[in-house]
This record gives sequence, C-alpha cells and structure tokens, in this order.
Amino acid sequence: MKTEQSRRIQIAILTALGVAAALSLALPQLLRGTRREQLLSLTVMLRDTDSSGWTVARQGMEQAADELGAELRFLTLTAAGDSEEQEALLLREIEDGAAALVVVPADPEALSAALDPWLVVCPTVTLESPMEGAAGVVAPDNARLGKDLAEALLEDWNGGEVLLLDTAGRCAGVAARLAAAEETLTAAGAPVRREAELPENPPRWVMAFESPVTRRAAERREAEGRDFALYGVGSAAAVTAQLERGNIAAIAAWSDYAAGFLAVRRAVNAVRGREGTLSPLPFFILREEDIYAPENQKLLFPIMSSSSR
Amino acid sequence: MNVFRRLAAQWGERYRRMSIQMVLSLSFTAVAAAGMLLMSVSLIWRSSAANEQLVAENSRRVLAQANLNLDSYLRRMMRISDTVYYRSIKNMDLAEDDLTGDLSLLYEENRDDLVSLAVFDGTGTLVSAVPLTALKQDAAPADSDWFRAAVQSMENLHFSTPHVQNIFDDPDYPYRWVVSLSRHVQLTRDGATEGGVLLVDMSFNGIEQVCRDVTLGSGGYLYLIDGDGELIYHPRQQLIYAGLLEENNRAAAEYRDGSYQETFQGQSRQVTVKTVGYTGWKLVGVAPAVSWLSVSPQIPLFGLTLLLFSVFLMAFLNFRISARISDPILRLERSIRELDRGLAGVKIEEGGCYEVQRLSHAVASMVSTMRHLMDDIVRQEGRKRRSELEVLQSQINPHFLYNTLDSVIWMTESGQQQEAIQMVTSLARLFRISLSKGKSIIPLADELEHARHYMNIQQIRFKNRFTTEIAAKPGAEGLYTLKLIVQPLLENAIYHGMASAEEDGVIRVTACREGEDLLIDVEDNGLGMRPELAASLLDEERPEVRTRGSGIGVRNVHQRVSLTFGEGYGLTIFSEPDEGTLVRIRLPALDREEAERRQQGEEL
Repeated sequence: MKTEQSRRIQIAILTALGVAAALSLALPQLLRGTRREQLLSLTVMLRDTDSSGWTVARQGMEQAADELGAELRFLTLTAAGDSEEQEALLLREIEDGAAALVVVPADPEALSAALDPWLVVCPTVTLESPMEGAAGVVAPDNARLGKDLAEALLEDWNGGEVLLLDTAGRCAGVAARLAAAEETLTAAGAPVRREAELPENPPRWVMAFESPVTRRAAERREAEGRDFALYGVGSAAAVTAQLERGNIAAIAAWSDYAAGFLAVRRAVNAVRGREGTLSPLPFFILREEDIYAPENQKLLFPIMSSSSR
Repeated sequence: MNVFRRLAAQWGERYRRMSIQMVLSLSFTAVAAAGMLLMSVSLIWRSSAANEQLVAENSRRVLAQANLNLDSYLRRMMRISDTVYYRSIKNMDLAEDDLTGDLSLLYEENRDDLVSLAVFDGTGTLVSAVPLTALKQDAAPADSDWFRAAVQSMENLHFSTPHVQNIFDDPDYPYRWVVSLSRHVQLTRDGATEGGVLLVDMSFNGIEQVCRDVTLGSGGYLYLIDGDGELIYHPRQQLIYAGLLEENNRAAAEYRDGSYQETFQGQSRQVTVKTVGYTGWKLVGVAPAVSWLSVSPQIPLFGLTLLLFSVFLMAFLNFRISARISDPILRLERSIRELDRGLAGVKIEEGGCYEVQRLSHAVASMVSTMRHLMDDIVRQEGRKRRSELEVLQSQINPHFLYNTLDSVIWMTESGQQQEAIQMVTSLARLFRISLSKGKSIIPLADELEHARHYMNIQQIRFKNRFTTEIAAKPGAEGLYTLKLIVQPLLENAIYHGMASAEEDGVIRVTACREGEDLLIDVEDNGLGMRPELAASLLDEERPEVRTRGSGIGVRNVHQRVSLTFGEGYGLTIFSEPDEGTLVRIRLPALDREEAERRQQGEEL
C-alpha cells in the first residue's frame, strides 16, 4: 500500500517537473506572442481643419507612442469646430477598432453623450477641455490661465475697454479661460466686451483664448498696422514669432510636447487598465523679452529631432 | 518558534514513516536539486559579472567610437573656423575687402553642418555674415554667452551649449537650434588691427547624428553634456526639457573617464564617461543593470529549463536507483509478513543488489530451517497426542477386563456355562473392535456394535437388572466416529445410574446426524444427579478420584474428543436427581473419505 502511494508521489513529482520544464521551454514563445499583440492603435482627433498648430504636440504623441508600443492615426475636420463631424468620425474609428482616442473636443458635452456607450471599451483622453466619462484631460488649469492672462493685461492697462474674443463656442476649456479673464478684468474695474471676431476697429486691449485666434489677430494687427495690445494663448512657432515681432504683448504658453506625450501615455495606460491621474499642465505668461531665456527656449522651441522629421 | 518546532516535529514524524525508497529518492533528488540550484546561481552570478564587464567594455568601445566621430566633427568645425580666420580674416583689410564671399564659399561647402558664419567686431557690430546678412533690430551679440566667452579667453575656441540662434533677422522665424563655436579674432581695418569675434553656428543636427545611432545594448543609450553637466544631446531631450523625465547629468559631470555603478530613480545602472577632447564635453553611456544581469529574458528561462530538466532526470534516475535498492527489500518484507500471517508456500525471492541478495538468501535459509523445525514440532506434537490418546485408552481397558474376567470366573464356578461362553464371546468381539487394526476412527456401526457387546457382558453380570436399546437413526449409519467413546459412558450409566435399579432400568444409546455434526446420546433413567455435579464431571481441575463411577471415564472421553476434533466438540451432560442422565457426545459428521484423511494425518 505504502509502495503504491510512494509510486504515485514519484509519478506526480516527475510529471510536475516535466510539465514545468516544458512550460519554461514554451514560455519565451508565449511571451513573444503576447508582446506582439501589445501594439495599440490610437486615433488622434483635432477640432481644427489642419494640424499645423499641433506639430509639437504631435511630436510628443509620437514619442509616447514609440515608447509605449502604439501607432497613431491623426484626423482633422473638414470644418473647424464641427462637433457632429467629429462625433461621426470618432464613432467610425471605434468601429474600425481604435483601442483609444485622443481628442480635442469641439463640443465636450455632445461628444460625451455620443461616445457614452463606447467610453468603457475605448478609453478617451481629451486635450484642452474636460469631458464627462473620459479617461483624463490634458490641459492647463483653464480658469487660472484666463485669470493670469487677464492680470498680465492689467499690469499694462491704463484705461479703456478690453475686447474678449469669444470663440469658445461649445468648447468648455476655452470658455473657462474666457470666463475667468472676464471676471478678473471686471473685478479690476476694466470694462469688457465680447466679440466673436476681431472688429474693424478694435479697442486698445484685446484678449484671445485660442492659439489660432491669437495668431490670426496678431497677423491682422501686423497687416493692418493696428496698435492694439494683444494678449493671447499658445506656444506654436507662429504665435511665438508674432510675440517676438511685437504683435502680441503677452502669451500664456505651455509645453505642447508634454501635452501630446501625456495624452497618449494616459490613453495607452487606460487601455492596459493602469490607473493614473493627470495634473493640470504648468503654463507661463511670456512677454517678448522672455522668449530666449534658456528655459523658455526649451519650452517654446522643441528640438526637432532629425529622426522624427 | 513553536510553529517551527511543530513543523520540524511533523517533518521528523513523516521522515520516520517514509518508505526507504522515498527517503532515498527524495533525499538524493533534494541534494541534487540544491546542488544544481547552487551551480545555476553561481553560473548566473558569474555570468552577470562577466556580462557587466562586457557591457562596460562595450560601452567604452562604443563611447570611444562616438568620441572619435564627435571629435572628427568638431575638428571639422574648428577647421572651418581656422580657415575663415587664417585664410580670410588674417589676409584681409576690412576697409578694402569684403569677407562675405569667402564666408559664402565655406558655408556652401558645409551647409549641411552649418547654420551661419559671422564675424563681429569688438563691440558686437556685425562685420560680415552668411547666409543671413542682417541682425535683428534689437539683437545684442555682445551680450551673448558665446561672444563673452570668446572675448574673455582669446586664445581658445569655445563651444556653447545648444541654443536657439536669435540674432539674425530671418523673415521665416525658423528658430534653429545651434551649437555656437566662437573665437577671438584679430581684424584689420585700414591697416590697424582690432579685436573681433568669429562665430560658427553648427547645426544641432550634426551633433545629434553623431550620437543618435549609437546603441549600448538592451535599453542603453548615450548622452552628451558640457563640463557643467548641461545637456547638449540626449535621445529623450525634449522630454527632459518638458519636465517629464529626469537625467542624472549633473552627477555625471563630476565623473572622470571610466565606468561607474549608480542608482538613479531606484534603477541600478552602469554609467561610462568619456571626455571629448578640447571641448570639455562628456559623452555618457548608460546601460541599465538589467542589460547585464540578463542579456535577454530568454537566458534565465533557458537556464531554468536546463535546471528543471536536470532535476527531472536526476529525480527519474534517483527513483529508479532507489527502486532497485528498495524493491527487493520491500518484497522480502512482504514475504516475511505473509509468513508471519501463516501463509503456506511463501517463496522468498532472492533478487536485487548483492547485499540484498545475501540478506534474502539468509532469510530464505532461515525460513527453510524454521519450516523444518516447525514440521518436526508438528510431528512431535502428533506423536505426543497419539501417545496421550493411547494412555487415555489404556486407562479403560484394564479396569473393564478385570471386572469381566472376574464375572466369567464367577459364572464358571457357579456352573453357568452358557452365560460364561456368551460373555467370553462378547469380550472377544469387544476386543476385536477395540483393536480395529490400530485405527482411532472407526465406523459408527462398529462403535455401536462394540457398545452392544459391552452391554451384553454387563447385563450378564448385573443379571438383567436393566435393558439396553442401541440404535442409529437414518442418516447416521455411514458415518465414522472416534472409537471407544460410548463404552465408558455406558459404564458410568451402569455403575452410576443403574446401581439401585430393580429390573426396570433402561439404558438407551441413540446416534443421529445434526447438520454437520454427529450426536451420540447415552441416556439412562437411573438416579441422576444435581446439574452442578453433572457440570463438574467434565471439569479438568476436578481432582481425579479413582473410584467406580467417579466420572473419570466421562472426562477421558471428553478430552479425547476435544483433542481430536477441537474445542467445539466433546461431551455435554444433562441430569436431574431421580430422573436420569443424558450424556451427549458431539462429533463432526465424518464420512469415509474424511475419516481416512484424518486417520492419515494422525499417523503422520
């Protein structure tokens, strides 16, 4: 009886050892197979018609995608801020198997409602504006940014009406900047006025809250020889050049490279089930004289790696 | 502590109960596995140490090559600077000659590596520049680091850290990253010499290309810093600039050339430093510890496979060897256990190793000797029993013979010739049956015949004071019985029961079969006795009193039957005072075949 039991134990030990040896032999193959499956397909959707203003952010995204094993698909709209087109495109991307979305939402509320059933299976990270149900938002503290930019204007302000270019539409992030700036200016006693576009004869003080709007206002100022003081947003080369040429008095800038990198990293982590939180991006109020400070150079002019061009 | 003690006790107990094969195989396997594990760890450790050296050596070699390439690149830039200075500036009077042509020529030859070439006078005023020829309105070259460095240290060439060149008026605002090479130059203007600064803006891409393709094994990389630890090139430079990543560049600036181990942000890594000649820059190669601890994750897995496979083989071998040692011992032990249980014909197998064979042989020899001894004992016991029986039987014969012959004498003397002849005839028949050719088991019919003759003799002696009925019921006729067991009971019935009979005594002998038993009842209607006395007649502890009818004959019969057939057989006495006595003999119902077999067994 005891001999039989011993024999069974021996067979069990030999079987366990044999299986373990076979498994350890097969494990590298299994691991290799798993690794191959890890390449994720991510879709990046802007709310503009062209992505030239997102060049630096795109570099950051590609860096993150390269490091974390993802491939990116960049999409733009045929009409800037067309939330319906954005929803339709994103739904199509989800159906086509996008693992995650990185979106600059044109209308966060509507987009959240449209994507609601899919947000669990297709994590979505937003840039600029927060969105309900999203895996995270990569943006500066928009209210704080609006307030600080308004305070920069107030440092120069010597009276007169301040024009606030209200181009937010349904974009919550931009709206938050605008609202905070308006509140700060009003509290300081500066008269404010909202306009959707820069008028023919703008007042002495103008504030813009989006990078393309800032760039266009600066270009008009230069082209039309206007003399208003423009306070805007953005760190794109075109905006920086306008700042350097004196067409912009001050900008609120942040690292687009970091924004792109963080957005893709968060999206990949969300797909892989890793929890994480995103802090608001740090931003700086820059004037012309600050551009070439070493730290600001690093922020405003990313080193364009020849391998990524 | 108690837990450990309890566990140790449990293991000790298990070990004690373990079979020899398990002890052998598990001990050998455990020792072999421990040895292999130790060897594997030692090999991995040595391999890691060797890999570490290999990685350090590889890093030094790669850095030396990168240094060579970088040095070559920087020397090319320095040669451009020398060319501008010694072939153009030194040979020109700026009041008469235009430097721009020579600069343009050099620029065109090296435009892939250059962003701009410019010459400034001592106040920072632009003398000549290509490809951009004008400065920004608010540009102040004299305030630039590269300008100040050139002015402060006139005999040297100075390399700046990467920066965006912002002094030239470029309508495209390209914001190019450059590394500025500046030197102090002597300008000639109207025959008079004055100080100035020559600027060669090298494209950052040139340096990046030198460093970018350098690989340092799995996860390793190379970066370039200036003497203060300021980053010049890093493969993830923009992440560091964006504050998303940190590098230990300040600490690396303190290292001399060589390889070092450092732990940065919880990661152990090997850092190899190589100083770039002339500039004071340092190439830093970083190899994470994982790259030498395990060059590939497959290597430890392969090692694990080898270890497991070796343990598997060792275990298999140990199990086989231990089985070869222990199986014959176990078989021997089983045989001995079977012998112990009394199984006949158990064969002691002599197999296995030499020592076990010897042991088995010794045991087999011992068992054989033991069997012979046991046979002898059995034979001796049989003989002893037979002699006992003979003794018991011999206790009956003299007593009866004496009484009978006494009666014959008496009858002959009193002239009862016919009765004397009948008695002697019955006596002769009685003895013939008693002899039965020496057999102890005889047919029941003979035994009853024997009883009949005996009763004939006794009836003559007792003048027919009682009658006798002897019969065998159907089913009992062909059976066999131990001989001379009825007669002693009849004798007791006569002397005990019929002593006071007045011609109305009856002694009845009845044989019948009850299942597998044969019952012979001897019943009388005599005086009877108390049941306690009846029960004590068979008591072996009762002292033997040799008087007539003391019951000694009854006890003899009981002992003979018990000795021959076992404890379940023998006599039972039922008696009541004034009612008579029934003595029942219980025997196994033996047929002829069984009787002969038993007879043969006894004779052996």
